[in-house]
Amino acid sequence: MVDISRVQKELTECNRDREVSGVSIALHDGANISHLTGTIAGPTDSPYEGGTFTIDIRLPGGYPFEPPKMQFVTKVWHPNISSQNGAICLDILKDQWSPALTLKTALLSLQALLSSPAPDDPQDAVVAQQYLRDYPTFAATARYWTEAFAKSSSTGMEEKVQKLVEMGFPEDLVRSTLKSVDGDENTALEKLCSG
Amino acid sequence: MGRDAEEASPPVSSSELEQEEDDDDCYLSDQEDDALEESVLQVLEDEHLEDCHWSCSSVITKESLLLAQREDLRKVIELLGLREHHARTLLIHYRWDVERIFELLDQKGRDRLFSEAGIPLQYANNAGPSSSTEVTCNVCFEDVPPSAASEMDCGHNYCNDCWTEYFIVKINEGQSRRVRCMTPKCNAICDEAVIRKLVIARRPDLAERFERFLLESYIEDNDTVKWCPSIPHCGNAIRVKGDIYCEVECTCGCQFCFNCSLQAHSPCSCMMWELWIKKCRDESETVNWITVNTKPCPKCHKPVEKNGGCNLVACICGQAFCWLCGGATGRDHTWSSISGHSCGRFTDDQTKKTEQARRDLYRYMHYHNRYKAHTDSLKQEAKLKRDIQGKISISENKESKIKDYSWVINGLNRLFRSRRVLSYSYPFAFYMFGDEIFKDEMTPEERELKQNLFEDQQQQLEFNVERLSGFLEKDFQNFTDDEVMDTMKHVINLSNVVDRLCKQMYQCIENDLLYPLRTPHNIAPYKSKGLDRASELHISWDSAEQSSKSTKRSQDEHRSQHGVHNNEYASTILGKRALELHGSSSDNRPRQSHKRERQDANGGGALFDLNVPAEVADKI
Ligand SMILES: [Zn+2]
Ligand SMILES: [Zn+2]
Ligand SMILES: [Zn+2]
Ligand SMILES: [Zn+2]
Ligand SMILES: [Zn+2]
Ligand SMILES: [Zn+2]
Ligand SMILES: [Zn+2]
Repeated sequence: MVDISRVQKELTECNRDREVSGVSIALHDGANISHLTGTIAGPTDSPYEGGTFTIDIRLPGGYPFEPPKMQFVTKVWHPNISSQNGAICLDILKDQWSPALTLKTALLSLQALLSSPAPDDPQDAVVAQQYLRDYPTFAATARYWTEAFAKSSSTGMEEKVQKLVEMGFPEDLVRSTLKSVDGDENTALEKLCSG
Repeated sequence: MGRDAEEASPPVSSSELEQEEDDDDCYLSDQEDDALEESVLQVLEDEHLEDCHWSCSSVITKESLLLAQREDLRKVIELLGLREHHARTLLIHYRWDVERIFELLDQKGRDRLFSEAGIPLQYANNAGPSSSTEVTCNVCFEDVPPSAASEMDCGHNYCNDCWTEYFIVKINEGQSRRVRCMTPKCNAICDEAVIRKLVIARRPDLAERFERFLLESYIEDNDTVKWCPSIPHCGNAIRVKGDIYCEVECTCGCQFCFNCSLQAHSPCSCMMWELWIKKCRDESETVNWITVNTKPCPKCHKPVEKNGGCNLVACICGQAFCWLCGGATGRDHTWSSISGHSCGRFTDDQTKKTEQARRDLYRYMHYHNRYKAHTDSLKQEAKLKRDIQGKISISENKESKIKDYSWVINGLNRLFRSRRVLSYSYPFAFYMFGDEIFKDEMTPEERELKQNLFEDQQQQLEFNVERLSGFLEKDFQNFTDDEVMDTMKHVINLSNVVDRLCKQMYQCIENDLLYPLRTPHNIAPYKSKGLDRASELHISWDSAEQSSKSTKRSQDEHRSQHGVHNNEYASTILGKRALELHGSSSDNRPRQSHKRERQDANGGGALFDLNVPAEVADKI
């Protein structure tokens, strides 16, 4: 059985300083204490800056003696997070978990992971390769994914890209142009046409 | 031979006849002469040879497991002044290699040795409840009185409920041997006594499993100890000191390769043997043969074998078809074409592939047939032994000067040992001179040279093994004393020859064949006296008593250091078990018995059934 009293205390404790820490936790649906949703603010000075990342949290029956199961819901480009399904490779969520850690400390660790990836122990081999061999492209892609998936204003970005690509412009160019004009479809089209 | 003479002389018994026929054989071959002269020298040399591969094995039964472990624990506790659970932690970390621990103590120093294994350098000052103020448990976030919390050596304190819950999870995960403190990044290993005390209160079954895991650590986390692979399991483990590439025999009679736990297979290396049994098992070669040498009839789908030179084949159903493409055709054909049929596959390709597969198959069959001939003879071991025992008892009871027939038994044992060597030398040769694992290790010329060298020795050995076998199968119970003496001479000489040839073949294998390889291949050395029979582990009662004393002392120290810490439980459990061990040794069960009786394993009042390793038991 999940220790309900502990989880309730954890929620209160974590949300008390959410402004400062940049992480918060809420019940996923009101009824079930073992299914939660966490959010992390993308750390400053990283390609994830400005993004808000949602994490699906499930507590196993043995929590806190077994680690919580966490997975990114927001798509993210990172060596230790699957670009396909958001699965996370982080030791404290596996064998290094300790019952004295909390959901908040776990989310803070994820935030730290966003700042400093560990490409030697990758979850996503493609991303890790890119991170090691071509950092600028990695950073650009990560930034782009943050724009596209982790910002509320960026909803619909993919549709805009799709539309412009269908008009016959190359995808790379479309993306970079869209980015340079902050996602404004019309300005981007003008720019693309002029040159 | 000698027909005329036979007819002329009065009737003779069949045994005499046989003897007469064998007379041609009855000279001492050069080889045998050499053997006689060299036998003394050889013995000296052999001892030296076997010294290089020194190893000695002992059986660890469920009774001696605790003692074997105590012995090592005691050494570490005494020399390093450690508490028992710290000594165990250290031993588990360094895989029960006491000598290595003392070596590393010199090299690294005490502090590094301890911290790498997760042993606190200083014990936290936890002499009793510091005050009556409540303790806040950082796991459940509740405040509890100090009496309801426990502090580990590292000084970290949590409530007993949380510790218990945590220990249960860890034991269930099979991590009993390394239960770390709950504090993140704290490397300290939890006190066994605390774990016992807390877990037994809620889950006595798990407490028992915890004990068993600790005990079996001596087997599981130890490179020099392996479970006997017998099925059903005899409950024993074997400990080897020295070279771990060796073959041992458990007291249950099971003979196995200590390195891979499969049946004894020297001079095959473990890798060769694994490949070989797999190859024999899936009979893929036979399947290959069928696919290569037959094709399904396009009409009735029965496999049809190619019978002649041309490419038109006919099925018994009457259908003719083209061997190359398998398509149905008419019967009208010449050597190179079938009328009205063109498949355009008159290439050499198919033929080449067929040839290769055929060669591979024949090669395998060549080695397998010889391997099997010898293993089949080995299967007759028991019967042959019985027959010969019968002949011996007849001989011993008849009117004769010869009373000692131990040479027959010795010769028989030599025969079995060398036949075993011979049978495994075939799979060895199959891989040694094949393409499967050593393709790039030798040039074809080198390979041919070495193969000839090896096969010369193998053939000589085989020839002499068969001769020895021939003499041993004679009906010597019907012989005259002179004939018996003559047979004896042959058996003794051939035994020496065969033993020497085995040694030479091993020298060739180890020095000329395996040694030059880039990838090391180790084999269990040749043992003239047969593979190593593990002896019962002998730890004198003195040292056992000493160890229980030292345990007691260390526990007393522990208690005085811990103040309120309650170690009562640990000491009673140990005390109880020590008593049981004493009990079982004092009853007059023959300790030397070759086969352990089954009820022995389930014997009265033992705490653990060691018949099945804990991991396996858990899955049942
Ligand atoms: Zn607690
Ligand atoms: Zn600790
Ligand atoms: Zn056995
Ligand atoms: Zn082996
Ligand atoms: Zn047919
Ligand atoms: Zn023909
Ligand atoms: Zn054809």
